[in-house]
Amino acid sequence: MKMKYSTFSQTDNNQMREPMFLGQPVNVARYDQQKYPIFEKLIEKQLSFFWRPEEVDVSQDRIDFRNLPDHEKHIFLSNLKYQTLLDSIQGRSPNVAFLPLVSIPELETWIETWSFSETIHSRSYTHIIRNIVNDPAVVFDDIVRNRHIIERAGDISNYYDELIQYGNLYNQFGEGTHQLGGRSVTIERFELKKKLYMCMMSVNVLEAIRFYVSFACSFAFAERRLMEGNAKIIRLIARDEALHLTGTQHILNIMQEGVDDPEMAEVAQACHEQCIELFRHAAEQEKQWAEYLFKDGSMIGLNYSILSQYVEYITNLRMNAVGLEPIFPKSTQNPIPWINAWLVSDNVQVAPQEVEVSSYLVGQIDSEVSVEDLGEFEL
Amino acid sequence: MQVFTRDTFFELEEDESLLEGLERTGHHVEYQCRSGYCGACRVKLKVGSVVYPKPPLAFLKRDEILPCCCRPAEPIVINVPLKSKL
Repeated sequence: MKMKYSTFSQTDNNQMREPMFLGQPVNVARYDQQKYPIFEKLIEKQLSFFWRPEEVDVSQDRIDFRNLPDHEKHIFLSNLKYQTLLDSIQGRSPNVAFLPLVSIPELETWIETWSFSETIHSRSYTHIIRNIVNDPAVVFDDIVRNRHIIERAGDISNYYDELIQYGNLYNQFGEGTHQLGGRSVTIERFELKKKLYMCMMSVNVLEAIRFYVSFACSFAFAERRLMEGNAKIIRLIARDEALHLTGTQHILNIMQEGVDDPEMAEVAQACHEQCIELFRHAAEQEKQWAEYLFKDGSMIGLNYSILSQYVEYITNLRMNAVGLEPIFPKSTQNPIPWINAWLVSDNVQVAPQEVEVSSYLVGQIDSEVSVEDLGEFEL
Repeated sequence: MQVFTRDTFFELEEDESLLEGLERTGHHVEYQCRSGYCGACRVKLKVGSVVYPKPPLAFLKRDEILPCCCRPAEPIVINVPLKSKL
């Protein structure tokens, strides 16, 4: 039986027995019992990572940017536009697409926490752009006008849009064949699950590959001690993204195992080839993007060929993590090993009360007091 | 503790992580966060077992371990190549 979405389902249920998605919508937001404690741990980690763009001083970047040659200005700004696009999508879409389908509270809250952190990324791009150019509109307006960026936007948002539209119809009309606006539309639960699975895989690709191509560019500038404020922000973003990636990897692997929802394992098998193609297509598209970035010239430490090799290398790595056979057997080595030093979480900042040490959590106080602790007290 | 890899073996020192040991001995191993949440360093454990002082957040299949944050509980065999043999 299909369960209509409600913001507070009044049917008494055992949340521990609900599947991650498409069971009964979540009613009580409770975390005393958890079907998948990993999502609660991800939430805690994400909260301990909290940061604000304004904490990072980007004033030196303005001077650096002015002195960049034109082709490097193009690389830097195009990269920022692309990052802005990715986080514009990620700041809203997980909420809109996944929340109406989710059935366990810890995953629901993880999705909200995840999406919220993307909005901080979006705000940080504005912080950077405001500092380096006089008229931010020149940068922002081009995102929807530049065909190289728009091409990517289509491929990324399509999976979300299809899931959202199909999910809406499912929720409104249920399974079956319906006459809608003079058109015959068949809605099937299995198809909805396929769209959900493919959408999750496409988000995985976005956060596993597309983001890392852009990170490589940001850090390549900073390797030359240029645009370092920007790199500091991107480093914080990269730390968040690694966590989000772990989130989708968990979701996808739980789906594939089928213990959570046996039909989801069938869906995963049915989508296997399509997923491989999704990775292949994204890798190709990222290589084309690299071509566009370096069209007027390369930069020291990074060019079309190196970035393409990195795309292949990281695509292999990410496919492996979600149970897919790597498609670039020759790419076994990281062509830009220096990027990893930028991705180490312990290098982000030094003061624990800021954002660096992830084990530092507010309220983490040892409240155990033994008699011996009071031994030296005298009244 | 002894660590056997695809091409060689080495003694893991008390104060180093398995990841640091692999790097010291010239192995090719990927890393990012070095804190157990990104999963980039995951490798296949062929023989032996490891423990985690703090459970990692990254997803691991049954036969995978995270060299950045695990401790071998006994001599282990892992499928990691030397950089020079790639």
